[in-house]
Amino acid sequence: MPKIKVNGQEIEVPEKSTVIQAFKQAGVDICHYCWHPGLSIAGVCRLCMVQVEGMPKLQIACNTEVKEGMSVNNTSDVVKETVKWGLDFHLINHPLDCPICDQAGECGLQDQYMQFGSYDPEMAEPKVKKSKAVDLGPTVMLDKERCILCSRCVRFTDEVSKTNELGIFNRGDRSEIGTVQGKPLDNNYSLNTVDICPVGALTSKDFRFRQRVWYLKEADSICPGCSTGCSVKVHYNEEGVWRVKPRVNPEVNGHWMCDVGRNTYKYVNLKSRLLSGKVGKRDLWQEVSVEDAVRSAGLKLRETSPDAIAVVYTGQYTNEEYASAFKFFKEELKVKNVFHWLNNPEKVNEFDGLLFRGDRNPNTKGLENAFASFGAKGSWDNLQAGINGRKFKTVIVFGPEDQSVFPDLDEKIKMFSQAENLIWLTACANKSLDSVGGETWQIPVKTYIEKAGSFTNFQGKVQDFKAGTTIVPQALSVSEAVELMAGREINWNLRPRGVGGPKTNYAVSDRGEL
Amino acid sequence: MSLVRKPSAAASWYLPGILAGMWFTFVKMIGNILNPKKMPTLNYPEEKYEYGPRFKGNHVLTVKKDGSIRCTACMLCATACPAQCIKITAAEHDDPTVEKFPISYEIDVLRCVYCGFCEEACPVDAIRMGPEWQTAGLNGSKFAYDIQQLAYRPQLKGGVVSVLDDQERHQAGI
Repeated sequence: MPKIKVNGQEIEVPEKSTVIQAFKQAGVDICHYCWHPGLSIAGVCRLCMVQVEGMPKLQIACNTEVKEGMSVNNTSDVVKETVKWGLDFHLINHPLDCPICDQAGECGLQDQYMQFGSYDPEMAEPKVKKSKAVDLGPTVMLDKERCILCSRCVRFTDEVSKTNELGIFNRGDRSEIGTVQGKPLDNNYSLNTVDICPVGALTSKDFRFRQRVWYLKEADSICPGCSTGCSVKVHYNEEGVWRVKPRVNPEVNGHWMCDVGRNTYKYVNLKSRLLSGKVGKRDLWQEVSVEDAVRSAGLKLRETSPDAIAVVYTGQYTNEEYASAFKFFKEELKVKNVFHWLNNPEKVNEFDGLLFRGDRNPNTKGLENAFASFGAKGSWDNLQAGINGRKFKTVIVFGPEDQSVFPDLDEKIKMFSQAENLIWLTACANKSLDSVGGETWQIPVKTYIEKAGSFTNFQGKVQDFKAGTTIVPQALSVSEAVELMAGREINWNLRPRGVGGPKTNYAVSDRGEL
Repeated sequence: MSLVRKPSAAASWYLPGILAGMWFTFVKMIGNILNPKKMPTLNYPEEKYEYGPRFKGNHVLTVKKDGSIRCTACMLCATACPAQCIKITAAEHDDPTVEKFPISYEIDVLRCVYCGFCEEACPVDAIRMGPEWQTAGLNGSKFAYDIQQLAYRPQLKGGVVSVLDDQERHQAGI
């Protein structure tokens, strides 16, 4: 492996790597726009200029291969001047409308101007005006003025999604990004172009103007959208979760994620969640505290004979939750009738060739492992027959977190509700659950962003994630619910306090008439 | 530590002190009647004190030449606000040249500390601190100012026009 010197610091880099990769490896900041580690080299922005010892002219770091004994730097005056005035050229036609730009706060131009630019512009000519707020497709908006023509998005649609919707049209300073003959940018990976856009030219319609990025905090998590289990960052504030972005993980998702996975934040937010326990029959249910609901459900479970209990699992919970649930039902209650509710068995093995899989559960593999280690699973026909034949009196369902991926949800609820007692653990509220016939317990549980645990993805790779934020503080994780059902105590001090949702200014809302 | 002083024997005769105080008041009264211009007090509310033009009073949202709101909902004022009394909800405008505008803009003036940071932070001269300072209300909700109050209250006579105009900037090629 060649040894090179980066700004005087000697490092060993892999064979055939480029100078910019060496800079990244050494942890040295280098100005660049068009280079992206997940895409091919274009060399169009000319900003990653470095001085290589022994070469008369400056070279671009992204397209220069390392050589044994090479000594490069980007700290000499000539490099600094070049980068500075290179930035000025990039900003000649840039509108500088940062106040209405969604990228402000995480913008490559803003950051790099502060770090490498800081010049007084010397351009006196009027700017070239292009169209703003161009509708590119169902997910992305384009602002042609802000674009600096780094061609990352064009290369993305060319190389990664292979859909070739985007291109650069016209010449010189009239060049602009566009779609061929108005064909919309409509593929399942289109929002990655927004992520890699170093300026605010491409913005997500879903996130546009909803929050300023500096109000948001980041938490690392695993996408629960399908069995691929992409590493993601979840952006949230005290009002809830606002967007999901990919995190680099070369073993699973590389730099990308699909648009379906980006929608997984929607059901996490307060509007769609179940906020308290619900106990009772059709139209007679009442809202009780979560603790009361889960304790009375546990009482019912322990009263029922083990043969009359059926446990239904979905692949949307963590390995740790499965372990505690299996331990309780299998070893303490001696329940033999456990079932796996797979939402779309015909699509399970589908794969779009890049990331998105037909199995829309994050942890099907983990559930199968749990079944394998704790005991065999029952067939679906047995469950149907058992409920119809009044064999199963109490059915407990570990319901789906993301209900939209369960197309058969309503009909399954109808089927389960034919049993005498139905205990349903769910993160989101569901109208059909409120109107079932038998005695019903609805217990709110946490979503993926509120709990720590691990998912096993389709490869069998176990990926840990931590709790990010709390949306519904009263919701329980399955492990906690199981402890309470067993009649034991949990440590309430470790649980989040307070009420979720937007902060209410009581000084304002409680001001009465004088 | 406070020092406790016993009243002197002379002070226990309170009548001389009262007479001395009344004499002082009488002299001032005569002085004010003979020379009313030197009187330091005002007959509020008939007379009001005029503050300088840089006085930071109640906020004004400026408008464009066509009367629509100038604010672009960049939220820099809300970010700079140390009292966190500004609440803005941005929305997409039908007109693509406007793009982003505030669909609601609320200032809770009872929380506001009148520091003027919002005015300083604003990149488009959309918010200014106005000259008004006499605000009273019977209800707390009177002090949560919305766009209607901030930009189009009757005292502003149709709104204050911002010095920064997008159309002019566009034509100048900025």
